Amino acid sequence: MKTTVTLIAPPTAMQPGGYIATAYADRSQPGTSRADLEVQESTAGWTVALRWRAPQAVIDATDNPRQFIDGAALFAPTVKDAPWISMGTPDMPLEGVLWRADRAQPWRVSAQGLGSVQRAEAPAGWTTAARYANGTWQLTFTLPAFAALTVTRQLGFAVWQGAQSERAGLKSVTPGWINL
Amino acid sequence: MNRQLAMVLDLNKCLGCQTCTVACKKLWNQDQGTDYAYWNNVETAPGKGFPRLWQETGGRNADGSVKRGEIPSLDADYGRAWKFNHDKTFFKSNGPREWLKPESGTQWGPNWDEDHGAGAYPQENHYFYLPRLCNHCTHPACLDACPRGAIEKRSDNGIVLVNQDQCHGYRFCVEACPYKKVYFDPKRQVSTKCIFCLPRIEEGVAPACARQCPGRLRFVGFLDDPAGPIHKLVNEYKVAIPLHPEFGTGPNVYYVPPLSPEGIDDEGRPTGKPRIPPAYLESLFGPAVHDAMARLAAEREKTTRGEGSAVMDLLIAYDWSKNFALDDARTREVI
Amino acid sequence: MGFSMVIDLNKCIGCQTCTVACKRQWTSNEGQEATWFNHVETKPGRGWPRDFHDMTPPAGVYAQQGLKGRIPMLAESGGRWQFDLESLKPGRYDPQKPLAPKTAEKGNAPDWGPNWEEDEGGGVFPNSYFFYLPRLCNHCEEPACKKACPRNAITKRDDGIVLVDEPNCRGYRFCVEACPYKKLYFNPQLGISQKCIMCFPRVEKGLPPACVGSCAGRARHFGLLEDPESPTHRLVKKFGIALPLYAEKGTQPNVFYVPPFSATGFNADGTPNGQQRIPMDYLKELFGEEVEQVMATLNAERAKKARGEPSEIMDELIRYTFNEAWKLPAEEEFGKHV
Repeated sequence: MKTTVTLIAPPTAMQPGGYIATAYADRSQPGTSRADLEVQESTAGWTVALRWRAPQAVIDATDNPRQFIDGAALFAPTVKDAPWISMGTPDMPLEGVLWRADRAQPWRVSAQGLGSVQRAEAPAGWTTAARYANGTWQLTFTLPAFAALTVTRQLGFAVWQGAQSERAGLKSVTPGWINL
Repeated sequence: MNRQLAMVLDLNKCLGCQTCTVACKKLWNQDQGTDYAYWNNVETAPGKGFPRLWQETGGRNADGSVKRGEIPSLDADYGRAWKFNHDKTFFKSNGPREWLKPESGTQWGPNWDEDHGAGAYPQENHYFYLPRLCNHCTHPACLDACPRGAIEKRSDNGIVLVNQDQCHGYRFCVEACPYKKVYFDPKRQVSTKCIFCLPRIEEGVAPACARQCPGRLRFVGFLDDPAGPIHKLVNEYKVAIPLHPEFGTGPNVYYVPPLSPEGIDDEGRPTGKPRIPPAYLESLFGPAVHDAMARLAAEREKTTRGEGSAVMDLLIAYDWSKNFALDDARTREVI
Repeated sequence: MGFSMVIDLNKCIGCQTCTVACKRQWTSNEGQEATWFNHVETKPGRGWPRDFHDMTPPAGVYAQQGLKGRIPMLAESGGRWQFDLESLKPGRYDPQKPLAPKTAEKGNAPDWGPNWEEDEGGGVFPNSYFFYLPRLCNHCEEPACKKACPRNAITKRDDGIVLVDEPNCRGYRFCVEACPYKKLYFNPQLGISQKCIMCFPRVEKGLPPACVGSCAGRARHFGLLEDPESPTHRLVKKFGIALPLYAEKGTQPNVFYVPPFSATGFNADGTPNGQQRIPMDYLKELFGEEVEQVMATLNAERAKKARGEPSEIMDELIRYTFNEAWKLPAEEEFGKHV
């Protein structure tokens, strides 16, 4: 399938810890307003391509503690219609993949609620191909065995623009699950 | 039982030698990503501090919520770790040699405004040194700021730690800390901070900054230990007070405020007023500083009169081993 | 059995806290402007007073005839410095003319003084080096000053402390001539010679001398040389790692020094050559031939420590517990008025 998704900023009021909710109360708009999504399923597994405008890419920040790096993540619920904006629950975890622009390999990620994301080494064969040109990121995930997606056939994603200090819950996400 | 380790620093004894800074840096913080970072630094007050103007933002609102803070800039506020012309100095045997010096482009650094101070010369010029480290606050703003719960305040000793495995490098803690004592490591993409030398504490040994201090001005112990130096100086003698209590985080590093020589008037006569303006000290330590200063002056008077002063005896550190009172003072000695 | 001091030159940072502690306590009166019972100078260097080493005869002479030396000249001591504090008054202060000393004797700007050559040192950059040498009266076993006094006004007490008996001193200054360390000072105000008293009023109360107790670097150790429980006994007699300065003068000093390590030097191509920058020959000039063996011991002990093995010697020098840096006979007064 191929579609363009309008992205939203998750409400800062729900961010855990208390600080982000008040300190970033003024942040209601997503850094990226929309993104193109293309999903292909084959016998070899899943291929998911994302494309979004990022006027200023941040690929490497080893030199600057103030700079945040661009990133993107795909998630699928392990149980159909698990909460998306609040990142699943302990009973309904999410599974996914996280790309960060400074890394050659993605992480496998899982989540059981806000602030609970765990990163792990990606399974063999999970790769990303990223290209930045003309102010646009084109990112393709190749995911031979993405079990949660195969089971629930629901997908959500998030992108972070480092230039806009997006990180953690300060991000641009799909408003809900996209049913494949 | 919740216990709190704390430190008292007697600013009357700090000579700005940076032995604490180096002891800490050598022990914990030599990696490339944190080359700019100093868990412990000593800055000159009055001054802009390190990172530059750290005290101008941050802290808690009256309702307890944490104010929005900023991540300091590497070049303008922290100062990029200086690179030296080692290759030109040491590795070129031909031609004229250069002296060892930092390469150009340095804009700021720890204690950049060393010994500048303030006040008209010679009437009231003054400065003193302010050693700074993580305050291991009772209500740490950094802990509140982390959406991942990756910052922990230990119940057995109150030490505040960043769980390096849980940290995803979001830096809300760096923003939120009003003392700017959480440092981001851009190489590893995680935040780091003073660990109060926890592995030493677990051996019954005081932190490196305290043990190495040539001026013997640091005291370490549990806040609730009536036999220890902290309880005495903070609660009993009331001569040690926290830095910027108005930030609302409940710091557990306390300072004995600095006495200063009197100024002189335009005729050169002593004014009888200390060179460091009490109002400036109040801006650092809050209104409690006035009582603390009065108590210190009174105790010093006692000593001058030849009477005993338990406060002065402890501060002077006649018996240096009494500067430290830890849970498990094992016989093993570690510097 | 007398008092002795060991100064670890690896720990001296040249802060002059000892100097000030001493000065404040004993020599802040008029006539004592150039009297520094204790001072810290930079080595290599000509020292203070300038070239004091050359003012008395070299090795071997003492036993036969005592030491016929000379009194340092004004230019060599730098004179008694005085400051025009009035010039600091508001309205009078001129930033172009910062506070600067003039000698009381001639009113000229001094061109020498204690630690005049601060941090200059020796060697060719980048193999340059220096270290600090704190100096005080050595309270010698065979004090040249005592032998020199025709009035017998200098005594060496049973506890080894050498004192000028001031009421008996007539200011002849033979002692100043004779002392190879130039640690007697003539007081023109009182017309007598004065010297370090090893803080005997403190020591008698069980306290270390002020220079020891106040040392920021904890470089000084103090106690009776023959007392097996004294840190100085261990460092000098048991471990044999502390040596007197200019032993060849023959006065048998009771102040000893742990000689200094130094950083590795560089080859011409910039690679480290693994050699200590302070030349062994220079250390021998100061501390005699034995310094080579002492440095070997120190290096071996340091290497042990680096390998994680225990080293009694390093533990003694590191002085984990500062209060153990001195061992005095009357311990009940310990810990007061340092």
